[in-house]
Amino acid sequence: MRARAGRLALGGAALAGFVYLFVPIALIVAFSFNEPAGRFNLVWQRFTLDNWLHPLARSDINETVLLSVEVALVATAAAAVMGTLVALALARYRFRGGALINLLLVLPLTTPEIVMGSSLALLFIDRGVARGFWTVAIAHTMFCVSFVAITVKARIRGLDWTLEDAAMDLGAGPWRTFSRITFPLILPGVLAAALLSFSLSIDDFIITSFVSGEGDVTFPKYVYGAFQRELAPQVHVVSTALLLLSIGALGLSVLYQRRRT
Amino acid sequence: MARTAPLWTRRRFLRNSAALLGGVGVMPGLLTACGGDDSASPAARSSADGSGSTTLTVDSWPIYIDDDPAEGTVARFEAATGISLTWNETINDNNEYFAKIQPVLSDGKTIGADIISPTYWLVPRLVQLGWLEPLPIDAIPNRANLLPSLKNPSWDPGGEYSLPWQTGITGIAYNRKVTGKVIGSMADFFAPALSGKVGVLTEMRDTIGLLMLADGQDPASATFERAESAFARLQEAKESGHIRRFTGQDYLDDLVAGNFAACVAWSGDVAQLALDNPDIGFAIPEEGGMRFADCMVIPKGAANIDNAARFMDFVYNPANAARITAAVQYISPVQGVDEALRQLGGEAAALADSTVLFPDAATTSRLHVFGSLSEEDEARFDEAFSAIASV
Amino acid sequence: MAGPNPGSRRGRFAPYALISPGLLWLLLFFLVPLASLARMSLSTKQSRFDFDPSFTWDWGNYADVFQKYGVQLGRSFLFAAAATVLCLLIGYPMAYWVAFRAGRWRNVLIGMVVVPFFTSFLLRTVSWTVVLADDGLVLRVLRSAGVVGVLRSIGLTDGDRLLDTPLAVIGGLTYNFLPFMVLPIYVSLEKIDTRLVDAANDLYATGSAAFRRVVLPLSLPGVFAGSLLTFIPASGDFVNAFFLGGTRSRMIGNVVQDRFLVQLDYPGAAAISLVLMAIITSAVLLYAKLLGTEELA
Repeated sequence: MRARAGRLALGGAALAGFVYLFVPIALIVAFSFNEPAGRFNLVWQRFTLDNWLHPLARSDINETVLLSVEVALVATAAAAVMGTLVALALARYRFRGGALINLLLVLPLTTPEIVMGSSLALLFIDRGVARGFWTVAIAHTMFCVSFVAITVKARIRGLDWTLEDAAMDLGAGPWRTFSRITFPLILPGVLAAALLSFSLSIDDFIITSFVSGEGDVTFPKYVYGAFQRELAPQVHVVSTALLLLSIGALGLSVLYQRRRT
Repeated sequence: MARTAPLWTRRRFLRNSAALLGGVGVMPGLLTACGGDDSASPAARSSADGSGSTTLTVDSWPIYIDDDPAEGTVARFEAATGISLTWNETINDNNEYFAKIQPVLSDGKTIGADIISPTYWLVPRLVQLGWLEPLPIDAIPNRANLLPSLKNPSWDPGGEYSLPWQTGITGIAYNRKVTGKVIGSMADFFAPALSGKVGVLTEMRDTIGLLMLADGQDPASATFERAESAFARLQEAKESGHIRRFTGQDYLDDLVAGNFAACVAWSGDVAQLALDNPDIGFAIPEEGGMRFADCMVIPKGAANIDNAARFMDFVYNPANAARITAAVQYISPVQGVDEALRQLGGEAAALADSTVLFPDAATTSRLHVFGSLSEEDEARFDEAFSAIASV
Repeated sequence: MAGPNPGSRRGRFAPYALISPGLLWLLLFFLVPLASLARMSLSTKQSRFDFDPSFTWDWGNYADVFQKYGVQLGRSFLFAAAATVLCLLIGYPMAYWVAFRAGRWRNVLIGMVVVPFFTSFLLRTVSWTVVLADDGLVLRVLRSAGVVGVLRSIGLTDGDRLLDTPLAVIGGLTYNFLPFMVLPIYVSLEKIDTRLVDAANDLYATGSAAFRRVVLPLSLPGVFAGSLLTFIPASGDFVNAFFLGGTRSRMIGNVVQDRFLVQLDYPGAAAISLVLMAIITSAVLLYAKLLGTEELA
């Protein structure tokens, strides 16, 4: 009896946790169907499909989403390459300074964003570098490199590297060995890390607000400003669409894993 | 800043092609509607800077222009002049904007914008730092339509560097659904019944101005000593929890949601909001309200000074200014806007009789402008205010 | 860290070549900026519009941090600690339930923890302002249950409301960083062999003893990582306090944002940032010592 009560309590607590997680999400989805009175889509009025029929009606919002995607793509690509190389080095070789590198990788994760943002902004101001697209991309790449390196390192630590040596022994050159053996082995880890980087970059606000210029309005910056002037339902539509996309991706990956096992 | 170019260009391209296609049929009609001066061909006004460029970039505040994609001021200016105009709504706060452009301008580089819209008190600071170009006054004949009362403002004697974009009133906005009544005075505003339900602006001159008036002090001759009791009252109202939040324009959210019963607010914002929310009202406090102006100035090194002048001239044409007034519902600095509004007819015509848009003598006598502060006093005001409002 | 390493014969320089781009990036854009920050924190503005403060060994900026912003600094750590504890209390049962009770739905459910975070961080926080609004459902229910009065009497809320109070800020921080707690705990729980749990259940009289002696110790690395991933960003956050907080729930992040991006007080903002970083680093080391976890990553 007691065990059963405990089980129920645990299930109840977990359920409550999930409800808590989804309250604002449900609200965002609901408000994407709202027909707001006036500029702020914050008070429920009545149901409409209009916003979904015209999801791209607001070109200013679309441009901010586009800018965020562009930054995220650049940062993710750069971080995926650099981070994976670091991870390979750490997983495959024992070398002087490895421990120090490990520490350096962890530091950006244990530093508040506000510290990284303000210090980078100072560097740019000091050197007379105008803040803009590239300073944002540089900053995002910086914190993504750490994430990629650590995630990939954890994923590939247990891999069987003897295959590499076998390939080399059979006469494959280093490039061929990499493309045929190493790359396929590490690819799932790199993809997972890249996805993580992408989602971190596209949603970053604090660091971006320090290192971006006046005119570089990413989607998070837009939402922040929108609170001051006009929260259009298209913001909710775009967010819901992003949510659906990620649920779709998640569903696919679960199916894929099921099929493989 | 450089980054936005491709995005804008893409949009520009679409818009320009559309204008090209539609322009042939529409333009003649529009041009006559806009009045003679704008029909002068681009060639007739050769560039003073010799660039002959066809672009213009303006940094302004959110919701501060009629933004209809086909009929709005931007579209009509583009159709009338062939200049492609990029309208950025990037200013949310004067200090924040200043902080963003400072590293660029103090390095002697140029920011992307050709016209920026600081509030009046920021203009002398920009002039003193040498960050503004003098206005090419000869290229702005419609400047003659500037209201006489604004021809020689305290913030820019002679109007050498600035033209007002819009002016407005700082007063109290209230939500009748929460208050159950009109909030007409600062005494009402600080009544215990509203405790925890009021907001004040992070814009120092607006908030402290109203508080000084409530104290019987005239902000026109503000000194730090005279404002001390206003600061004390602000501090007290914050600590007692009477003031719920210090806000920028986001007071609009809280007002609509009913979290604010009343707040310090800008007249045009509230008028626009009240169109959809009839419970929301605006009052000039009995103790007096503040008057402000947001200006158009040209930052140092701007690439398209000629086009900037043409834009200023365009919006100082009363017919064009009236359309902006009808949308933003602030007080136009342009003479003859009331007549032009009547000619527009419909809802716009009714605005011509509003005393908030066209303050009569009785209203004007209740409005005050924050005087210019000495450098030393301004530092003390800012420091004292941010110690209360920002932490 | 590096495993047995048969590949090392391919030259001693290979690892350095591999790490150099990433290393260079982190040096240039993480460490060097910290040096700029340190230098700026000891500089002085000669006048109000001195945009290039000169380096003067001015320790006064640090004195200001504690004298002027001590309250906000203390409040930040208090809020962040409260949010971390709440995340642990809410997140541990979730992770445990998903790891041991969800069966074949494990992957789906752990995905559900992440899914909300594919919408915008800011919009989620704005949504809470709607949930907690003065005429919102939540406040009405709590008010009729008499909870609001209790919360006010212990200083968690101001007046008869939830929005713009310390409670709302802590709630927002908890919400926004909850997945960072759930995921690491889940990962550490998932690794536990269920046979070990069964054996413990046989061995100890009660389920709670089995949990305490076997499962909990094995999940501590997850708890440690989760706490850091919650506490650190929460203590430097300014978004939650901006949207959900009132005049008396400003955090140190709001101060840095204001000093740096609005007031142009770079030396002041730099000193606050460094103090924040120093306190967090010492807290992390202390915590690591307490939990006996040496390795961070």
